[in-house]
Amino acid sequence: MRFYKELIKGLWTENPIFRLVLGMCPALAITTSVMNAIGMGLAATFVLICSNIAIAAVHNIVPSKVRIPCYIVIIATFVTVVDLLMNAYLHELHKSLGIFIPLIVVNCIILGRAEAFASKNGVWLSIADGIGMGIGFTLSLIVVSAIREILGNATLLGYAVGHYQVALLMVLPPGGFLTLGCLLALMNHIQAGMARRSGHAYVPPPTLDCRHCAICKWGE
Amino acid sequence: MKTRRAMFRSKGGVHPASRKRATNAMPVEFMPLSKVLFVSMVQHMGAPARPVVKKGDAVMRGQVLGEAGGYVSAPVHAPTSGKVIAISERPTQAGLPAACVEIEPDGEDRWDAARQPGPDWKTMEAKALVERIVAAGIVGMGGAGFPTHVKLSPPAGKTIDTLIINGAECEPYLTADQRLMVEAAQSIWTGVQIVRQILGARRLVMAIEDNKPDAIQAMSAAMEGTDAELVVLKTEYPQGAEKQLIYAVTGREVPSGGLPMAVGALVENVGTCAAIYDAIVEGRPLTERIVTVTGAMVRTPKNLRARIGTPLADLVAFCGGMVGLPGKIICGGPMMGLAQGSLEAAVTKTTSGVVLLPHQAVQQFSSMPCISCGRCVSACPMRLMPNTLGEMIEAEDNEGAEGLNVMDCIECGSCAYECPAHRPLVQHMRQAKAEITKQRLKKATAAKG
Amino acid sequence: MNEPVEKTLPIAAKEPTWLASSSPHAHSGDSVRKIMLTVIIALMPALAAAGIFFGWDALRLTGVCIVSCVAAEAATRKLMRRDKGIGDLSAVVTGLLLAFNLPPALPSWMAVVGSIVAIVIAKQFYGGLGYNPFNPALIGRVLLLISFPVAMTTWGPWQILSPAAGVDAITTATPLGLVKTTLGTGQPLPFVFDGDTILQFFMGAKNGCIGEVSVLALLIGGMYLLWRRCISWQVPVFYIGTVAVFATILWLADPTHNYNPLFHILTGGLVLGAFFMATDMVTTPVTKTGLMFFGIGCGVLTMVIRKWGGYPEGVSFAILIMNAFTPLLNRMTRPRVFGHGQKKKQA
Repeated sequence: MRFYKELIKGLWTENPIFRLVLGMCPALAITTSVMNAIGMGLAATFVLICSNIAIAAVHNIVPSKVRIPCYIVIIATFVTVVDLLMNAYLHELHKSLGIFIPLIVVNCIILGRAEAFASKNGVWLSIADGIGMGIGFTLSLIVVSAIREILGNATLLGYAVGHYQVALLMVLPPGGFLTLGCLLALMNHIQAGMARRSGHAYVPPPTLDCRHCAICKWGE
Repeated sequence: MKTRRAMFRSKGGVHPASRKRATNAMPVEFMPLSKVLFVSMVQHMGAPARPVVKKGDAVMRGQVLGEAGGYVSAPVHAPTSGKVIAISERPTQAGLPAACVEIEPDGEDRWDAARQPGPDWKTMEAKALVERIVAAGIVGMGGAGFPTHVKLSPPAGKTIDTLIINGAECEPYLTADQRLMVEAAQSIWTGVQIVRQILGARRLVMAIEDNKPDAIQAMSAAMEGTDAELVVLKTEYPQGAEKQLIYAVTGREVPSGGLPMAVGALVENVGTCAAIYDAIVEGRPLTERIVTVTGAMVRTPKNLRARIGTPLADLVAFCGGMVGLPGKIICGGPMMGLAQGSLEAAVTKTTSGVVLLPHQAVQQFSSMPCISCGRCVSACPMRLMPNTLGEMIEAEDNEGAEGLNVMDCIECGSCAYECPAHRPLVQHMRQAKAEITKQRLKKATAAKG
Repeated sequence: MNEPVEKTLPIAAKEPTWLASSSPHAHSGDSVRKIMLTVIIALMPALAAAGIFFGWDALRLTGVCIVSCVAAEAATRKLMRRDKGIGDLSAVVTGLLLAFNLPPALPSWMAVVGSIVAIVIAKQFYGGLGYNPFNPALIGRVLLLISFPVAMTTWGPWQILSPAAGVDAITTATPLGLVKTTLGTGQPLPFVFDGDTILQFFMGAKNGCIGEVSVLALLIGGMYLLWRRCISWQVPVFYIGTVAVFATILWLADPTHNYNPLFHILTGGLVLGAFFMATDMVTTPVTKTGLMFFGIGCGVLTMVIRKWGGYPEGVSFAILIMNAFTPLLNRMTRPRVFGHGQKKKQA
């Protein structure tokens, strides 16, 4: 039961991109096509699962003062494995993801889960957390990249979806910010509606500027 | 005497339509006695006066009705002879209830037998002069009503070298001071000299806005042959505000939170000077003042010499009544005056005017978000940023507002006058100032306790 | 009136006929709506000029932009449950300004996209009028420019009065674009910037966005805005002044590759930007000093982009970049409060 709970939380309630707002760098940079998003998502998922297992296994013997360097070494090891494997077997994808594969080392999700979950829980639950978070991350990237690819390139997964004037902006960096921002707003809106339906008052995040935002009034 | 333009031009200020033409050429008329006079014990800033008469007492004009409630306070005198018919709680112009002595005039208007013209003021000591001023219940008649004797008694070691007489009357509509200067220039001038003698001020400046040429002429005639200066100010609101006036005349800035004496200056209103003349030379305590009754909704606008305690309704009735339902009735000028919910309040020592505005002049708009036009920043005579302050106060960030010097706000209303988004900026400032004062008091008592 | 006072009721309840709100009781009578109306009136000469030079297309795009901006504003406000509607006319101004920044031949649907972006993303997402950090019309234009670079740089043919040798008198580029491409290929300046051309550029018979071609019409509108106190003189003066100084230095340094400063003033969107967009109240500083720096910054950025940037025109980008500096400029140029020492720095 606990395993199942840890597994699905990454999909919605603690979705790394839309709820925790972690891993923004790849979410903005590589979501120009769905293929990239899948590749990046799976690579990160692999690293996440492996590092969660390793860290959950060793966290009792690592002194807490040096835990961050230890985690980074573990994460970097798995990232190197992924990097070399992808270079060997998925060369085209590796080329299009470029620097962002090695940069998984500093992806906040991986270290964040290591620090927040794997170092406090057993191997079994850490696997669930890693899978859940990884899939949540991958799905989020796919959503963002699908919107950007359709609007900016008139394709989906490389296949043409129609003949229309594309908006070049969507595959440029500002398009990433716009898409992500709008999706985050949508997520907040849905969350607020769900909270209201379940009878709880929606508590806006404390950092929200209440003079500007009318989110509490949405869906009233 | 020399006449000159003001040398220093302070930043900010607004130019509302002055609308003084309705009354600025109207000689002051005597307001007949009302059936009942309502003499409030709150006529000034500071502690309220304490009633010393009781129901049924017969009083003479000038007899003390209420004695000063402390040092920063002033006694209140009977405006006419008659009978005390009640001592009640009545709302003041500000709407808060206060003790009030009700007098039914006997119609004879006899002065108190104790009244005596004083000895020659030139031979009197400063202390004796101030004592007479205290006894006459004189307060600042420009509007704030600060007891005059407090201002005239600077603490030891403080010298006041410049005495500025405020004849700016920058509020729209009002002409009480202007008419007083035209009609009683000599009494004002004598009063000014008395004040100067008390303070030993080296420099004496009479300041009048340039939209009152008749007052400038009358005052310069009275001042002819003296070493005093007459400074002609540019017509601008709030030119008559104490700090702005001192800057315009001397170029000195009163430091934040400080009193004018910090820069060696003192400002007295022309009305106050005339009252000082009455008290010292004629021996008459302050029992009447000039009130401008004006505005589009008054049939015949007038300047009236009215007894303290005259109900506002009687003033309006004497001016021919209203031509229709007014949108707002204001005691004082439209920029800083107090809107009245009814005409029940009575004239006090600080009532410079009663303005009846039509509905279209006081339309209420709902406020919009700030559009950062910057007009309030240009208009603020204290050079604050009302736009930022307003937003901070709306977000309940009083500390931030304090950091941006909200406490320096003089509530002149220039920002709200200009605001195209109709934001209640002055209300915000007042709220923040009250809140911060409360916090400071709390802190001070906590530190003591 | 003189009834027994014991019966005195609270004053507000007794006389409900007049208001008892607190001071000030006087108001200048100006309102956001009136300001927006003034801006709309000030833009009318330029719209008329656009009608003369571009005909039906200009009016079509302007209409499309205004209608879609107002519709987007009304729909968003309703959906977001914000109380105020479209009565402040700011959506109309946004629509007009957006249209003035589009080439006349742009397809209508693109103008609709630009309008929706301008109103929904650049304005209402930030909280509506007063809260938007960037000029909505310019965000709309820049988004279209980046998204549809071809459509946004397609112009009709126009005739240059004084072509230099070897250049056709008829071209389908804007003056700035023409100069940029010609110089980019190593050729000399494409036309002689003499009296005829100056007058031609000033009156507006040239290629450019709908609202920017006729400098004369824009100046009439700008003067009207200044007279009505809707804009401060600091921004247009320092903006155009900085461009003039910058262009003079370039011209004096290398007259064979640079036109005289009048060229930079009369071409592109400079006058439109300086009078109508760099003066947008919401997105510019509130202090006069701040506005001065704002104008100077816009001028420098405009010239840097025109001279060395990838785009031939830099007014939109310059103003948007300076918009981002507005809060900083507001903080930096906070006036010294009356009665506070010169040396004492404000926190």
